[in-house]
Amino acid sequence: MKRIIFGLIILFLLIWGLKSCLHADIPETEQPPVSVIDETHQIIPPPPQKNVTIDGVDYLQSQAPVGKFGGTFIASTIGEGPKTFNPFNSRDNISSLMSDIMYDGLLTTNPYTGEVIPKLAKSFEVNGSEYIIELRRGLKWSDGKPITADDVVFTWRDIVFAGVGNTSVRDSIVIDGELPTVAKIDDYTVKFTTPKPFAPFLRMLSNPIAPKHVFEAAVKKGNAYFDTFLSTNADPKTFVTSGAFRIQEYIPAQRVTFVRNPDYYVINTKDEKLPYLDKLVYLIVGDLNNEVLKFEAKELDIIGLQGANVARFKTLEPHSDFTVYNLGPNTGTMYLTMNLNNRKNEDGKFYVEPKKQIWFRNRNFRRAVDYAIDRDNMVFNIANGLGEPLFTAESLNSIFLNKNLKPYHKDLAKSRELLKQEGFYWDKKDRLFDKYNNRVEFDLYTNAGNTEREAIGVMVKQDLEDLGMKVNFKPVEFNSLVNKLANTLDWDMVIMGLTGSPLEPNSGKNVWHSRGTLHMFNQRLEKDKKDDRFDWEKRLDEIYDKGALAIDFNERKKYYDEYQQIAYDEKPFIYIYSPIVITAIRDKFKNVFPTTLGGATHNIEEIYIDKEGRK
Amino acid sequence: MQILLYILKRILQTIPLLIIVSIVSFFIIRLSPVDPLAELRLNPSVSKETLQRETERLGLDKPIIVQYGKWAKSFIKGDLGVTSSGELVSAKLKERIPNTLLLTVIVIFLTWVVGVPLGVAAALNWKTPFDRMMTILTSIGMAIPSFFFAVLLLIFAVKTGWFPVGGLTCTNFNELSFGGKVLDLAHHLFLPVLVLFTISLAGLQRQMRANLLDVLDSDYVKFARAKGLSEFKVIYKHALRNAINPMITLLGFEFAGLLSGAALTEYVFQYPGLGRLILEAVLKSDINLVMASLMMGAIMLVLGNLIADILLIITDPRIRDK
Repeated sequence: MKRIIFGLIILFLLIWGLKSCLHADIPETEQPPVSVIDETHQIIPPPPQKNVTIDGVDYLQSQAPVGKFGGTFIASTIGEGPKTFNPFNSRDNISSLMSDIMYDGLLTTNPYTGEVIPKLAKSFEVNGSEYIIELRRGLKWSDGKPITADDVVFTWRDIVFAGVGNTSVRDSIVIDGELPTVAKIDDYTVKFTTPKPFAPFLRMLSNPIAPKHVFEAAVKKGNAYFDTFLSTNADPKTFVTSGAFRIQEYIPAQRVTFVRNPDYYVINTKDEKLPYLDKLVYLIVGDLNNEVLKFEAKELDIIGLQGANVARFKTLEPHSDFTVYNLGPNTGTMYLTMNLNNRKNEDGKFYVEPKKQIWFRNRNFRRAVDYAIDRDNMVFNIANGLGEPLFTAESLNSIFLNKNLKPYHKDLAKSRELLKQEGFYWDKKDRLFDKYNNRVEFDLYTNAGNTEREAIGVMVKQDLEDLGMKVNFKPVEFNSLVNKLANTLDWDMVIMGLTGSPLEPNSGKNVWHSRGTLHMFNQRLEKDKKDDRFDWEKRLDEIYDKGALAIDFNERKKYYDEYQQIAYDEKPFIYIYSPIVITAIRDKFKNVFPTTLGGATHNIEEIYIDKEGRK
Repeated sequence: MQILLYILKRILQTIPLLIIVSIVSFFIIRLSPVDPLAELRLNPSVSKETLQRETERLGLDKPIIVQYGKWAKSFIKGDLGVTSSGELVSAKLKERIPNTLLLTVIVIFLTWVVGVPLGVAAALNWKTPFDRMMTILTSIGMAIPSFFFAVLLLIFAVKTGWFPVGGLTCTNFNELSFGGKVLDLAHHLFLPVLVLFTISLAGLQRQMRANLLDVLDSDYVKFARAKGLSEFKVIYKHALRNAINPMITLLGFEFAGLLSGAALTEYVFQYPGLGRLILEAVLKSDINLVMASLMMGAIMLVLGNLIADILLIITDPRIRDK
């Protein structure tokens, strides 16, 4: 008897426990976790930098408040550190970041407005397909040799156009199979000519410039040697650089230390040479958690925050020595997309089952799915309130964002109406069927391990089940998913993210052009020669071809507004939300002007340390 | 002479073993669905041409057998190849091996110096309160998962500020005096060493205790005692020498773990050793780097066993005479 009672109690506890498990999947919060977004620290950017000529040297004068010299700034990178310090070999973000600190480009992006502004160049002029760049006079490499037009011509002709090292810049400026050309006019003037007017080329001129007297020998030794040139094993003393900082030491898996360039061409309003900081250190940390611990232990001066950490840091902020900045939505776009493919694979089988093709290729079906998605709830529960619902193909901080495309909320009635129009119906159990009496059921994929996307997947599944659809949510390993998207094409619906450029919509050409390698929603492989584009796909192709050839910003904006309108109407991608970038920086650093385009340390040469002044 | 012949035979035996290990690992890595270019494929600004060129550069366009042949050929020549980002594998390993060795050698030295005497002491004081307390402590040591213990200690370091949060040296390491450098290293090494020490000490102490207890119970120890030998001689000349045999085998395994045994702890403490390097290599399917580390592990294991066997021949006349 005792045993039976005992057994019953255990059984009861088990059921009770399981029940709470079932409910605890997605916690429904009533109150926003923390209000970080509405409270932003007012950033008043300094006036734009000016060109000033002193004793024949063309300096760039910073207009930010004058600071004190000295000190160290410690930042971090996540992962295994840089793979190379050669700016023309970098294939990952960390390597690019490191080489961008050391090598300046001709032009750069104004971090406040997104305009193209001169950097190593004193000025530039664009006439159709001709770009005339005037260099600053009196500038020197770190070994004392002057920076001249020869370096620029060498960099572009013998490295970039010649396809040495990482060829992604070269590949992106091939226009109808032809490359631009570069010519020296005099020692301080160069001219670039593109085969046709090609707007994206201007921003490419922010690519670093290499010292000819150092790189020439390496380039001559061929590609295999160039791959190892200025690798992480190179002696820091052998670097000849032009940037605000120069490498001092690299300790594998621990840190990269940079020292200030004493002869940099940016000066303050007292005509003292910047940067203020003596040293810039990047610690190499393996993961996010360790980074947070290091910031809390004061081993780091800056940190990017995510999720629950934001709330915690925000509550710590008033009595700590750091300030939390909201840099606005990031450049990432998270989306849900359906496979519109109606072609067959090599074995003569359809990539997508024919009945599903009818659903996915139907615009009203896609719109019904879109209206059923509860973006506000996802921002609230998954992003801890730190996100903006997204409805456009361009990211929210893009200078080409079409502001006429209005956001909306979940609207199940509208979804049902759209489905009814297309002959879908519901049975007594509220299950959805199409007009051929097929139950609407499909697979939803995302990459396993990405907790954010997995959480979105669960919520999308719930939202679509409200419509009577049956969704089989299957997180799969990242590589298998990429293989599905790029090669085998056997998927129904997927949640993915892409990072775009907020400055140049043409960087999304691979996604939007019907022949692009990432035209996921209707991916065409090499063998698919037949022209079976939707009308709106044809229009997108035209827009992308013409948009790149137009030079004037307003003219380009018109094209890219239209592409966003098409994406908004046709819903090949159903965008979900953009996470907001939050950064914490210690208060002792002054002249900190974080922007959404430039991040928190875009003006590293202007940042200085003032221990006395608190918030 | 006989020993030399034995060693030669053992080395020859390892060759087919290493070949099998290399084939199995190469094929497992290459047949797994990890695509080293997956990240690139999903980057909108990467063109088809770039992808094609990367595929050729990494040799992914050739059949696996050809890839293996190419790798094996250069491996025999002593060339470990380059990583997927173009760095020399040998240089990469050379950067990390000293750090890992520094950690593991300290740990092994400490555990043996402390663990063996503790084991002997526990066996000699069998069933006394001392022995019972040691049993409880070592059970705790064996039961704590190393990563959990490491995380706890990290939180301790953050909260108290007494120890640095991971890493091996502080940012101004190069400006310190020699004494300062040693102190800085010790400061950084303390927590990871503590974790590994606690975990392996427990096992070693239990092993030593059990061995000695076994031997103490044997006939020849009883006989030695009956013969009227002093207790010191009985234990340290007769019993201990017999009890140490299994420990030597264990030492062989410890040798194998010199380069790979601390990977998990290294990862938690952000220690710049081989563990982090290899973990990233596996995730990115960086074939040359993974193969080099796997082969290194296999060779270390074979070598460790060989050393243990030779040591056994030296210490144990019974094996020598066979």
